[in-house]
Amino acid sequence: MKKYWAIFKTQVVNSLAYPGEIIWRSMAILLFLWVFTFLWRVAFDTSAATTLSGLTLRDTLWYLMLAETIELSRPRFANTIAQSVKDGSIAYLLCKPYDFLLYQLSVNAGDTVFRLVLTFIFGGALIWGMVGAPPSPWGWPLTLIAFAAGWLINFCLTALIGLAAFVVEDVTPFTWIYQKLIFILGGMMIPLDFYPPWLQRISKALPFSYVMYGPARLFVSPDLERFTALLAGQLAWVAALGVLVSIAYRRGLRRLAINGG
Amino acid sequence: MEGSKSSMRRELKFLFAIWKANLQSAMEYHIAFIAQILGMMLNNAFYFLFWVIFFERFKEIRGWGLNDMFLVFGVTATSFGVTAFLFGNAFSLSDVIAQGRLDYYLSMPRPVLLHAVSARSIPSGMGDIIYGITSYLLSGYFSWGGLGRFVVGVILASTAFAAFLIIAHSLTFWLGNAAALARLLMNAILTFALYPITLFNGPAKFLLFTIVPAALMGSVPASLVRELTWQNLGGLFLGAAVLLGLAIVVFRLGLRRYESGSAIQVEV
Repeated sequence: MKKYWAIFKTQVVNSLAYPGEIIWRSMAILLFLWVFTFLWRVAFDTSAATTLSGLTLRDTLWYLMLAETIELSRPRFANTIAQSVKDGSIAYLLCKPYDFLLYQLSVNAGDTVFRLVLTFIFGGALIWGMVGAPPSPWGWPLTLIAFAAGWLINFCLTALIGLAAFVVEDVTPFTWIYQKLIFILGGMMIPLDFYPPWLQRISKALPFSYVMYGPARLFVSPDLERFTALLAGQLAWVAALGVLVSIAYRRGLRRLAINGG
Repeated sequence: MEGSKSSMRRELKFLFAIWKANLQSAMEYHIAFIAQILGMMLNNAFYFLFWVIFFERFKEIRGWGLNDMFLVFGVTATSFGVTAFLFGNAFSLSDVIAQGRLDYYLSMPRPVLLHAVSARSIPSGMGDIIYGITSYLLSGYFSWGGLGRFVVGVILASTAFAAFLIIAHSLTFWLGNAAALARLLMNAILTFALYPITLFNGPAKFLLFTIVPAALMGSVPASLVRELTWQNLGGLFLGAAVLLGLAIVVFRLGLRRYESGSAIQVEV
């Protein structure tokens, strides 16, 4: 495990090599949340209600802040894996003394840290200024654990898309569609509570909501019961998807043909 | 006069030749090409589900309903697609400048900016175009006259969008590689263009007509499709022309600061 920890630490330092890039990227959250603030203010005004499906305007905007933070700090490495499969550079990683998937996990975890912190700070400052203080801090550690478990689910799903490069020419369309599944069925753009009941049931049963809705909803309404149910679901998905990634990786390697180099 | 006409004809001929070559190059990998088109259509359809769910719950936002969103999505997606498909390098001009790849275009006897932005096509843009037209047809605003206005609106909105991208990426001449900033600005114009303009008021609305001219890509061309008024048409034409002029000026000013290590290479 020591070597993966070293890779993680190196990547954290690497991610700081271009501070301008990381700051501009993190600032994107201001833009999205600003638009959301306009939209949801009008939506609550139109409904002439202070609470919709158990959420106030303040809850909704803090929910969206965390959901956007998760989305913007989420690693997007499917195309990196796909490219290394297509151009054969995966061979250089395979002959090194570490597991390819654990290497990807360490690198992407390292990449996430500062993006997550900066996005949270920028987004939090804006929403605090717009609608007031954040939800109770005692729920924050629980949210962080749920975020980490959701991050692992996202890692497995993204790795599966990247590994699809062993069988298809181009995985880019899959990454777009996955992102939109996260947006809609994950509850990034609207809390799932506002969905019609039938769509809520479907969305909550799928892994996307465990990446996004689960941690964001826990952030605004922290309670132990919600946390344990969420974590149990997340761990079940991590286990199932982890097995699937491992199978896909081994099968992919069998198809790999590298010439020369 | 005759000379400028023939020069324009020559440049148009050149542009069509580049587009033809780009299309042939994309079609070379026809499965990937089709996958990108279908993938982008599906991607847009999933994104639009947000508005379907939203209006299912809230019905109307300050006079805007789901049919207005179909229309604004139609115009914006088509304009985005036209820019991506025909002027794909406008999306990565920062990298071209920062990596010294402008040398190649500077060495050619053709307009540098036009050549540089049209040298690459993004195949998924075709998916945006098909999706955008479908979205317009489903909006309930279709009429033959409206279709003509849709085409005019898309041409002007694409011009405004391409010009905005050129300005954003040209900041690289002054700031070093401004790719991340340009991406942020592109996200800004797209995000604002895809929301009902009636949401915004005061300084926010001013912003959408000036610094981040999203209104020229979404709500103004959509209004033009709904109804022909001189205010809509004139405003859109003027906005697109001013942005294009500004883009050319900013790029030329930037070009004076351009330095490279003689990286003349074949651009494929």
